[in-house]
Amino acid sequence: MSLLLQYLASGIATGCTFALVATGFVAIYRVTRVVNFAQGAFAVVGGMSAFALLSHGLPHVLAEALAVLLAAVVGLLVGLGAIGRRGTPVLASLIITLGIGIGSYAVLILAFGDQPVSFDGVGGALAVAGVTMPRQFLLVAAVTAAAFAALALFFNRTYLGRALTACSSNPHAARLVGIDTTRMGLVSFALGGALGGLAGVLLTPLQPVAFNSDVGLAINGFAAAVFGGILRPGTALVGALVLGVAEALVAGYSRASFQSGVALVLMLALMVWQASRRPAIAEDAA
Amino acid sequence: MRRRLGIGLGVAIAIGTLLLPIALDDSQLTVYVFIGLATIVVAGLSLLMGYAGQVSLGQGAFYAIGAYTTALLAKLLGLPPPLALAAATAGTAAIAVVVGLPLLRLRGHYLAFATLAFQLIVLSVIGEARGLTGGDIGLPGVPTLSIGPVALEGQYRTFVFAYIVWALAALALLLNRNLVRSRPGRALRALATSEAGALAAGVSVGRLKLQVFALSAAYAGLAGGVYAFFLSYIAPGSFPVLLSIQFLIMATVGGLGSITGSLVGATVITLLVQVLTAVGTLPGMPLHAPAVFSYAVYGLVLVLILLLLPEGLVPAVQRRWRGA
Repeated sequence: MSLLLQYLASGIATGCTFALVATGFVAIYRVTRVVNFAQGAFAVVGGMSAFALLSHGLPHVLAEALAVLLAAVVGLLVGLGAIGRRGTPVLASLIITLGIGIGSYAVLILAFGDQPVSFDGVGGALAVAGVTMPRQFLLVAAVTAAAFAALALFFNRTYLGRALTACSSNPHAARLVGIDTTRMGLVSFALGGALGGLAGVLLTPLQPVAFNSDVGLAINGFAAAVFGGILRPGTALVGALVLGVAEALVAGYSRASFQSGVALVLMLALMVWQASRRPAIAEDAA
Repeated sequence: MRRRLGIGLGVAIAIGTLLLPIALDDSQLTVYVFIGLATIVVAGLSLLMGYAGQVSLGQGAFYAIGAYTTALLAKLLGLPPPLALAAATAGTAAIAVVVGLPLLRLRGHYLAFATLAFQLIVLSVIGEARGLTGGDIGLPGVPTLSIGPVALEGQYRTFVFAYIVWALAALALLLNRNLVRSRPGRALRALATSEAGALAAGVSVGRLKLQVFALSAAYAGLAGGVYAFFLSYIAPGSFPVLLSIQFLIMATVGGLGSITGSLVGATVITLLVQVLTAVGTLPGMPLHAPAVFSYAVYGLVLVLILLLLPEGLVPAVQRRWRGA
């Protein structure tokens, strides 16, 4: 029983980081209709630069905040490449983000080396109902909850957030009322970068992150985002938690190597199920 | 006049391709074989991306399936190599149909992730099925290619392989050219312009996409099979996700949907990687230099081509040639 609770706790913690990566996908896709293949790289940038800043003697919180900021800047740069040029087809944007993701490997290896890095998060463990739980789990859950609350406020209450939502529901109408959709797209890329960076910062103490950890992170994040058709952050959160817990249970009770298979198969099944409910015609680029 | 010049250029390239192996040493011939194999895969992917508008990040998976099927059929069942190759090609296409039937209902970007996931699943299945595939250690001792009683062995092995691979590549390109000009080809071109338009004109879009997907998988399976015969040793590590991305870069650089573009893309990228590896392994270079170089160049080439020459090298040159 306590073993089950332990798996649940660690599943929820990793699920939270998937959720942040997934929301990054959602934030960018909603506004630009671009699926950002560099989303996993944002998390890697966040995690590895937080490690570098900490090892240079910066205090916690400040180092993590700077790392998230850096990831947001990287997100903005990826956005400039992907949608900065007017009239770039969506499929081309997708391949550009893929190219930037691969290119980021070179920069990451040069900057941080090719070995996985990890740093200590919040130390210590807490005993809850007979289960010892690292405090980092609680931190991850709390920060994720706060991030989602802030996002909900941002999208619903602020001018910028509502402009982003306007772009996602109807870009033509948004342009008619004077919203610069390209600039909003860039904002969404920066937001996606920050969310990815936050995921990386929270995840690195739990499991080491290397320059090529982005594929796994992106796959899990995308699988979670697909739950909500890559459009709804809330559904993505639910998806990410389900995914995290399912993977933890499979790794715990079966074999660790089957863990990633869960995400992949679940994602494929979901995508196919969703596709079967919608006509298969792609939207011609408007 | 220009048209005649173009034909002359094509003939010159064909003759050059035929004569080149004579001048190359064994390690250069190996690169030559790899360019030919990549051309076959890219010919399929270029068709899929250029006409069906679908991005596949799983061509490496079909390459792996072709390689393992060929190797297992030839090694364990003792099937004659050409038969094993044909069976693997057909088998890969069949798997593509089964996988594509649900996946092609998805839009372009979904399929990219789905095929990426498919490749990761294929790799982990190969890694787990140790009894059959040797797991992560790999499958050694694949017999060499033989046609009837004649086995490809000895001094001229690579030389003959080069001709076989390039004959297959020429066949693939020829098939593509005829396909695009045929009746299904017209439907394909309509699909490339507007999916809704093609559907309205009576093209059965879903079926056509599935056929192109299966064809592209068959090309990849064929190339993978020859690869297994050529190296006589395969392991999951030979088919990383990066391989699929490499094929995608080749297709994009050459020009999506362009027949000669597949050839040019495969050649340019393979040679570029060779040069970079040579530079990266020079004495005094850090250990991770080759990796850094290739990642940087993959990224740069892909982004620059899409931003500056979105149609790809060959179509851009052709347009300039025609003076348009």
